[in-house]
Amino acid sequence: MAEQGLEGSQPVDLKKHPSGIVPTLQNIVSTVNLDCKLDLKAIALQARNAEYNPKRFAAVIMRIREPKTTALIFASGKMVCTGAKSEQQSKLAARKYARIIQKLGFPAKFKDFKIQNIVGSCDVKFPIRLEGLAYSHGAFSSYEPELFPGLIYRMKQPKIVLLIFVSGKIVLTGAKVRDETYTAFENIYPVLTEFRKNQQ
Amino acid sequence: MATFELYRRSTIGMCLTETLDEMVNSGTLSPELAIQVLVQFDKSMTEALENQVKSKVTIKGHLHTYRFCDNVWTFILQDAIFKSEENQEHVDRVKIVACDSKLLTQ
Repeated sequence: MAEQGLEGSQPVDLKKHPSGIVPTLQNIVSTVNLDCKLDLKAIALQARNAEYNPKRFAAVIMRIREPKTTALIFASGKMVCTGAKSEQQSKLAARKYARIIQKLGFPAKFKDFKIQNIVGSCDVKFPIRLEGLAYSHGAFSSYEPELFPGLIYRMKQPKIVLLIFVSGKIVLTGAKVRDETYTAFENIYPVLTEFRKNQQ
Repeated sequence: MATFELYRRSTIGMCLTETLDEMVNSGTLSPELAIQVLVQFDKSMTEALENQVKSKVTIKGHLHTYRFCDNVWTFILQDAIFKSEENQEHVDRVKIVACDSKLLTQ
């Protein structure tokens, strides 16, 4: 629904998105090095919205509401930030976590921030013959409906994994920059139209 | 049996502690005995809540803050509603401290 709203409000750049569909970014995973050793128990006791259960996981799990994200904070000073909807939001969130750690008295830096993964999704709004697609793109496809209802398409260039569902809903993952997501979708779109299921 | 000391901060626990303090200060009770009473209080509270309290309450509210550290959950709720079978109560702000009773039997 959100995508439709976006498409309606801003015209799609057809040079960049010939399909007329722009995948929506759903999750960004980033990492950063705070470059100082951290006392996780002290952090869990002082910070709000923190979980620390060393028996189960060797990191503090912390959340903030804006941008709505979750961070995994390790004793080494390395941090993983997940859940943001854009690269900028992911960086802003990571900065906020670093600031929280600083306020607790640790000399936290903000080194080597990197986007590690971008997940996008979209809806082509027509059903797809997954079996036919899997057969003709055998080298890239894995379709085992008894294991998972979607077709797993491992694109080589750009190196993106796509989950393609009968419903026409598509998930794209593995991108380091959003253009890889967009390119992968534009690459697959003609294939999807080719294997469009004729509705009875 | 191991017990939690968290009920000592309840109203009834605070009252007991105050009374014991007074008695120790006035010399009517030895400090050792006062400690023993508190340990018995921990046991009795755990047992009573386990075996004698049948009522259930559901709590619903906006989770302002949570924490999990040293196997203790802490929640701060805003605009919470406590609902039991008979009645319900609205609270602006409430702090919940919860421990896992399974840890006592381990």
